[in-house]
Amino acid sequence: MATKNLLYTNPKLCQHLADYKLRQGLSGYKSLQNCLKTTPNGRTSIYKWDTEIPRCCFCNGYQGRLFLCLICSSISCSSHALLHAQSEDGHDVVVDIERSELYCCLCSDQVYDPDFDKVVVSKNMMDMPNNTYTVDDGIRRSSKRRKVNSLMDLDFRKSKRLVSMRDRREKSCYPLGLRGLNNLGSTCFMNSVLQALLHAPPFRNYFLSGRHDRETCKKRSADRLCLACNIDVIFSAVYSGDRTPYSPAQVLYSWWQHSAKLNLASYEQQDAHEFFISVLDGIHEREGNGRTPTKDNGDCQCIAHRVFSGLLRSDVTCMACGSTSTTYDPCLDISLNMDTSNFSSIDVANKSVTPKENSGICTLSACLDLFSRPEKLGSDQKLYCQNCQEKQDSFKQMSISRLPLVLSLHIKRFEHSVVRRMARKIDWHLQFPFSLDMTSYLSSSIVRNRLGNRIFTFENNEADTSAEFEIFAVITHSGMLESGHYVTYLRLRNQWYKCDDAWITEVDEATVRASQCYMIFYAQKMLYYKANDGLSCMPLSPMRDPFFPIAGCC
Amino acid sequence: RNSVNRPPTPDAAEDLGKEPMFQEIINIKLIESGEKERLMELLRERLIECGWKDEMKALCRAFIKKKGRNDVTVDDLVRVITPKGRASIPDYIKAELLQRIRAYLVQAAV
Repeated sequence: MATKNLLYTNPKLCQHLADYKLRQGLSGYKSLQNCLKTTPNGRTSIYKWDTEIPRCCFCNGYQGRLFLCLICSSISCSSHALLHAQSEDGHDVVVDIERSELYCCLCSDQVYDPDFDKVVVSKNMMDMPNNTYTVDDGIRRSSKRRKVNSLMDLDFRKSKRLVSMRDRREKSCYPLGLRGLNNLGSTCFMNSVLQALLHAPPFRNYFLSGRHDRETCKKRSADRLCLACNIDVIFSAVYSGDRTPYSPAQVLYSWWQHSAKLNLASYEQQDAHEFFISVLDGIHEREGNGRTPTKDNGDCQCIAHRVFSGLLRSDVTCMACGSTSTTYDPCLDISLNMDTSNFSSIDVANKSVTPKENSGICTLSACLDLFSRPEKLGSDQKLYCQNCQEKQDSFKQMSISRLPLVLSLHIKRFEHSVVRRMARKIDWHLQFPFSLDMTSYLSSSIVRNRLGNRIFTFENNEADTSAEFEIFAVITHSGMLESGHYVTYLRLRNQWYKCDDAWITEVDEATVRASQCYMIFYAQKMLYYKANDGLSCMPLSPMRDPFFPIAGCC
Repeated sequence: RNSVNRPPTPDAAEDLGKEPMFQEIINIKLIESGEKERLMELLRERLIECGWKDEMKALCRAFIKKKGRNDVTVDDLVRVITPKGRASIPDYIKAELLQRIRAYLVQAAV
């Protein structure tokens, strides 16, 4: 397992910059610091000319990029920077006046020096409390200087500009939204699910654009706890830029309250899938205006359902007369049994089950095939056929009538048998793809396969939702049934990150593929790519609907 | 490494006998009052919204891929994307900025 070093890798100084530093050390940078000024939009520029605007000493030009020489403070434009370095010996390194960035005239290229960046960023940090444009007085923190790479923990809406400012400084940007979550006592089941939720594109966009207003929510409900509010707090904290591990105590407490009736509240290890469902349920309860969770869920407008809810179709066919009755059920996720067809000896009495040597591997598509395969209902499950007017043998076939924006697949690894009074975990490895095409599991495909090419009208027009998905999160379980550990792998900007409670590390694809997946999260392809473009600088305009991908230019 | 061996830009001021052009006066006024900074910020926002910045990023990436990561300077990139960048700015953005400059001049002249 290869884990890359998380530390910032410094680009090498060019020869000229290195020479300059040998001669001058940091004194040049320090004296420059007094001339730096942070403009309201977040740029740090050099301001030292009160009376007139800076002009190139060769051509008097004042447009385009202007550079200030670190040795003699003369100004040159981009056309004459080289001339300056050639006419004065040793005057190679200059600073871009507008951006406060180093430029080497002889290399004709931008150069980087972490010491210089430190000087600029610390000036930035010192200026921040004074920049009333960006900081709300009500949440001003103490001016105690934090470590250079972290931002103050502000409400995300107000720190929108601070986010873009930070992007300019940190050259090796780790994606926003990566932050460890402290384990509060066997709470890895919660942390793993939260990490996945934090990066589900439309879910994330909803909270980050401030759609859940904590103020109005508090006013409406007096004292009752709101899971959505707590999740909103977590979004703000995790996307704030602060990388120190965060303790999601509020969510845990609210969830305990919410699930007390289900007897789930305790310090014991819980099941991540159960937590996932109950969290979405908790959000629905508040946001969905208390709609009954039966028929309405298909059209419920709460964020949990809008993102995760799909529609399953179940066709039950009478084997005697062939007539089919169809029912639709909403679902927040799809639970899949692991396909056992590739394995020969399955001894259920044993705790451990070994696959046949050299047999096929268990794959996700095999499990999906199993899910949508026609299943003959046992003779004890004869269903009443309207046509035949009696109970008949029938077979049932599941298919997906409407795909959700985020497809959550749950692999049933935990088997509880009341009859045999045992519980066990299936440890088999499951191979899963990073790109998933769900077309063949849609009702249109399944029904067509069963009945051939006929003209069908499907109740939901499936043409407008794409069936192509991209993976963005995997929750894995390792260990035994009673004492295991959940870890989430996130895919951001084509790089995988392992989120193990408070520890986040970069990992490679092979590690993810080799892991024991328990829940896999796929987002519709368009949403995934839109979300992963420019993750480090997200200017969200409040009028944009998080559900509609914006196509290029307007 | 290539050096910028171009003759210096012809001096507009010298050509006209050091008479500052009207355009220059306006420009200086904009900078001094800080209006230019605000206009630049507005322009940046608009160009991000309409996807122009993403397009330029893609152009840069393509160029870097072609030339090799270690062979490219910032100047190269600027030189390559400037003509395409200027040409692909949507008209409505130009119109909006012109409108703002006009409005500024009206109230500055008073």
